[in-house]
Amino acid sequence: MVRKAAIVGGNRIPFARSNSAYAQASNQDMLTATLDGLVARFGLQGAQLGEVVAGAVLKHARDFNLTRESVLGSKLSATTPAYDVQQACGTGLEAAILVANKIALGQIESGIAGGVDTTSDAPLAVGDDLRRVLIGLNNARTVQDRLKALAKIRPGQLVPEIPRNAEPRTGLAMGDHAAITAKEWRIGRAEQDELAVRSHANMAAAYDRGFFDHLVTPYLGLARDNNLRPDSSLEKLATLEPVFGKGDPDATMTAGNSTPLTDGASAVLLASDEWAAEHGLPVLAHLVDAQTAAVDYVHGGEGLLMAPVYAMPVMLARQGLTLQDFDFYEIHEAFASTVLATLKAWEDDAFCKDKLGLDAALGSIDRSKLNVNGSSLAAGHPFAATGGRIVAQLSKQLHEAGPGKRGLISICAAGGQGVVAILES
Amino acid sequence: MAVPPSPVTILDAAPNLGALYTKAAFTARGRGGPLPDTHLARRAVPVDPAHLAAYDRECGFPLDDVLPATYPHMLTFPLQMVLMTDRAFPLALPGLVHMRNRIDVLRAVRADEPLDLEVWAENFARHRSGATVDLGATVQVAGEEVWRSTSTYLARGATAPEGAPEADVEVTVGDLERPVATWRIPDDAGRRYAKVSGDVNPIHLSGLTAKAFGFKRAIAHGMWVKARALAALSGRLPDAITIDVAFRKPLFLPSTVTLWTAQAEGGWDVAVRSASSGTEHMIGTVRPL
Repeated sequence: MVRKAAIVGGNRIPFARSNSAYAQASNQDMLTATLDGLVARFGLQGAQLGEVVAGAVLKHARDFNLTRESVLGSKLSATTPAYDVQQACGTGLEAAILVANKIALGQIESGIAGGVDTTSDAPLAVGDDLRRVLIGLNNARTVQDRLKALAKIRPGQLVPEIPRNAEPRTGLAMGDHAAITAKEWRIGRAEQDELAVRSHANMAAAYDRGFFDHLVTPYLGLARDNNLRPDSSLEKLATLEPVFGKGDPDATMTAGNSTPLTDGASAVLLASDEWAAEHGLPVLAHLVDAQTAAVDYVHGGEGLLMAPVYAMPVMLARQGLTLQDFDFYEIHEAFASTVLATLKAWEDDAFCKDKLGLDAALGSIDRSKLNVNGSSLAAGHPFAATGGRIVAQLSKQLHEAGPGKRGLISICAAGGQGVVAILES
Repeated sequence: MAVPPSPVTILDAAPNLGALYTKAAFTARGRGGPLPDTHLARRAVPVDPAHLAAYDRECGFPLDDVLPATYPHMLTFPLQMVLMTDRAFPLALPGLVHMRNRIDVLRAVRADEPLDLEVWAENFARHRSGATVDLGATVQVAGEEVWRSTSTYLARGATAPEGAPEADVEVTVGDLERPVATWRIPDDAGRRYAKVSGDVNPIHLSGLTAKAFGFKRAIAHGMWVKARALAALSGRLPDAITIDVAFRKPLFLPSTVTLWTAQAEGGWDVAVRSASSGTEHMIGTVRPL
């Protein structure tokens, strides 16, 4: 049995800049609140669903079973199974693909895909040297052994390791990787700032027309994403100093055209058409297909965030579609330059032939169909929660546009990975 | 017959519990007489989000926008302390034992709602070891009662007034067959909850201070045990509920205890018992209202 999984709807809490409204909230707090919001929206109190799949990128060791623990604290039935996934910023979309695939195969009838991240309540780890000493201490049987183990502690080891937004193999911040790609593709400062302003304006307009009323549940006093700047302008953004690619006199990436560290959570309800009908629930869209790809950004010379560029033609070919066959595009704005480099790569004949193995460029898209309700530059980007935000948002947009409309999602992720998907109303 | 209205005194700020415990210690002697009919109140009290977060963390509640059923007690208890330490209150605070606590949540109370609080004392009653008194509390939002509670305290050796009714301190639970969770409660549990709740009663703070009041070790706050048991049922309760618990034997710190739960009458029966001896520390019922 293969059928297309339906997207019934979504829920998220407003996203909050790091150490602001959600400074006291843990990943489990936010994910539980988000699940309960979804439960309330679709009348799922006490319901046993097929599966809940979610994850977090920054995760405490105690949260090894984060999603299951959140389900147990939620209003869902305690007999709903759950598991965690982690694919960096691709987590949320990957979770939706996993749930959709099980529905497609008839293994489950309904499921929730989600993601959560906090950069405020981030895990601190003890350094590797101290960790080994402490494990030795724990294993010591006699007082003498314990003292011996303790004697190995050096003052320098007592400084905890704070998680950094850096690639383990390159030591570069993600933004610095993106800055390399921006320079390679000659992405200008002005076009990045323009994309950022449009993201804020689109999202503010979407809030104003009530588009997010059925997608967002207020949390801890926040009703809208607090990174959203409806009055953002090119003039204001032009005053910001570059923060990535420092040392380069032509650096273009600022705090205004890059996403800030953000806290938040999102969840999407997926089901078979039959399950949705039985429960009197709407079907906003179907998940048609998905593809992941990875690039060798360490030694292979490809940009860290360019993997979606490679995933896209594989999925398009499988579906017999061109890049232009879509009514809406959701390209995750990790950085404005990432979106622009992605589009430029698809427009580039030489790149599409040499790197993607195509006969010609995928071509350009109608920019007025891109991120029409705003994206991560406006909402912020709580890593694992972004995929759920985009799937729910695009599904609703497609549903509003009417039946038979197609939407394309592209999300880049740390580790040189990318996830793309097609939704259809 | 018209009942004369009780005098209501409105306080502008939350009282300092440390100062009240000190006052209580120095004014314990020479008390007696009937219960005062004073009502103490605070108006439009906002919930401090940072305090709510600290309370949630200490008791195991998830952080969200709805107050845990036990949270309003954080706001009403200090007022009750003012009432109980006032010289007009007939029983001496040191030695008062919290026997029973019933909370009714009439509807979900949101953290952003300003709360009108009012507390009073009532039901002076006879008990085989002394006398009991109920400390009542009600919380209103814009004139609508959303929460109320009754805390029953026993004063050993005290005498209830002539003709006082028999104390009602019993809570009945059905068979609780299985322990569902083990809690390892550290010896600083009393100090930690004292920090959050402001309830710095010496019997909770350390072995030494507890000994001064006749306990062999520090004991856990009853309302913390109740809150933790309720937190264990997070996600499984309707908005409007009654939680009625009886506090039995003191829970000495540190301790390993077990939580027992069973579904009953659309809600839950709960018990907290010593993991080793089975000594019952708390039993209670949680019911939809």
